[in-house]
Amino acid sequence: MSLAGVNDDNYSNKSNLCENTPFDEDVDEEEDNIYINEETELGREHVLIAHGPQRRIVPPLNFCPVERHLYRSGQPSPVNFPFLLNLNLRTIIWLANEEPQDSLLEFCDIHNIRLEFAAINPDGGEDDNPWDGLTEHSIINALQTIVNQDNYPLLVCCGMGRHRTGTVIGCLRRIMGWNLASVSEEYRRFTGSRGGRILVELLIEAFDTNLVKIDSSKAPSWLLTALE
Amino acid sequence: MTGSNNETGEASAIDSLIENEAEIIRLIQKDVSMLRDNGNGNDIHRIINEDKILKGEFEHILQRFHDNCKREDGQLLEEDEEDLFDKDEHMTKSEEKREFQSEAQQEEVIPPENFSHVAGEIYRSSFPRVENFQFLQTRLKLKSILVLIPEEYPAENKEFLEKSGIKLYQVGMSGNKEPFVNIPSDLLTKALEIVLNPDHQPVLIHCNRGKHRTGCLIGCIRKLQNWSLTMIFDEYRRFAFPKARALDQQFIEMYDDKEIITLANKKNWLPIQW
Repeated sequence: MSLAGVNDDNYSNKSNLCENTPFDEDVDEEEDNIYINEETELGREHVLIAHGPQRRIVPPLNFCPVERHLYRSGQPSPVNFPFLLNLNLRTIIWLANEEPQDSLLEFCDIHNIRLEFAAINPDGGEDDNPWDGLTEHSIINALQTIVNQDNYPLLVCCGMGRHRTGTVIGCLRRIMGWNLASVSEEYRRFTGSRGGRILVELLIEAFDTNLVKIDSSKAPSWLLTALE
Repeated sequence: MTGSNNETGEASAIDSLIENEAEIIRLIQKDVSMLRDNGNGNDIHRIINEDKILKGEFEHILQRFHDNCKREDGQLLEEDEEDLFDKDEHMTKSEEKREFQSEAQQEEVIPPENFSHVAGEIYRSSFPRVENFQFLQTRLKLKSILVLIPEEYPAENKEFLEKSGIKLYQVGMSGNKEPFVNIPSDLLTKALEIVLNPDHQPVLIHCNRGKHRTGCLIGCIRKLQNWSLTMIFDEYRRFAFPKARALDQQFIEMYDDKEIITLANKKNWLPIQW
């Protein structure tokens, strides 16, 4: 669409192809060259590039802003890096025991993004199961980072951005005083076709919000508003 | 392809309703005494409403009509009902909540359904009810609300906006319903112009369920942020679940953003701040 006149040429090429028989192959080639080189008067006049192709950026899977400068998503892959650069991230919280893809490690390294590992099960080592939930300890660790403005802009992510990320964000909403129905609705919005896990919701409901220590001199403004 | 199916399905259902209604009229006309009793024989709907037995029969037939429709073309009708802003429903649900709230003074806040942060100081949600007002005022500290329904804003919401100094903007859209109702592009441009203006922020965008019309508008905002269409659709479906509409996605893709981009560039609104 950005190339005015080119459409017509394509059209002619196509019609040439349709009529293509071994018999007039030579003629076709010759005609093709005309279009490719644009060395005709017609070409010079009509082939105008109105604007360059639009560059589209790709947010990671399940990406969504949570609050000002706080984001959630699944594991970012190289196709998402230009998008992540737009966010000017200072910290990424990675909610798994195993390391994320090398490309993400490299990306964080190059752009000075602190990658924080919130171990799911410190004793589990490499035997981490993707369906294991988070321990209270690791939730508190992640939230302790979230309630500190020094770490912003901040991205919270796990493999798919569903349950582990959902658990941490859910507990954050509890701290902010959201009623449980709204917390559950938000959690389930990101869980995909298989739906939410009751265990995750039980964890969120039972989470003792007093365990997260909030330093009001460092808390983000929306959190202070929530705690007023 | 689905459109033509829907059309025939709907048409035959309507045909059967008309047939049924004609039958009722015949019955009424046969029973002349009843016409005299009511004085006004011209107003068929009044007669039906005033006569208990007849009303029951009529409702029974209507019920059958709806059942038929659901079987043949269930999704369409269901969706439309859901999308429509129902004043009575809004009232009763709010009333219930009001009583409930005064009894149990809780410190919890209740964001509206389908609520989310969009970008900067732009938020989205479904129709806010009484129980959500506190959240909108004290947490979001809204300056304005953009509502995308054509119906009149309910009095209690208006009252709340007045009290808390929130300005209301209304861009009435009727939604991308099958078969041929479209949100015109210039309405969307108008809506974007309101939302992107920093003087109006923090701003909340809502329609009835916060799924379709709001989803279209957010999709267009994402276009201005240069998101890939695939991820725009993914976000749209997440919020519209389980009622995503292919037509809305078509609309987002085909929306011509040239005008709003020119305008936004002139006013220095782009890029949209996170």
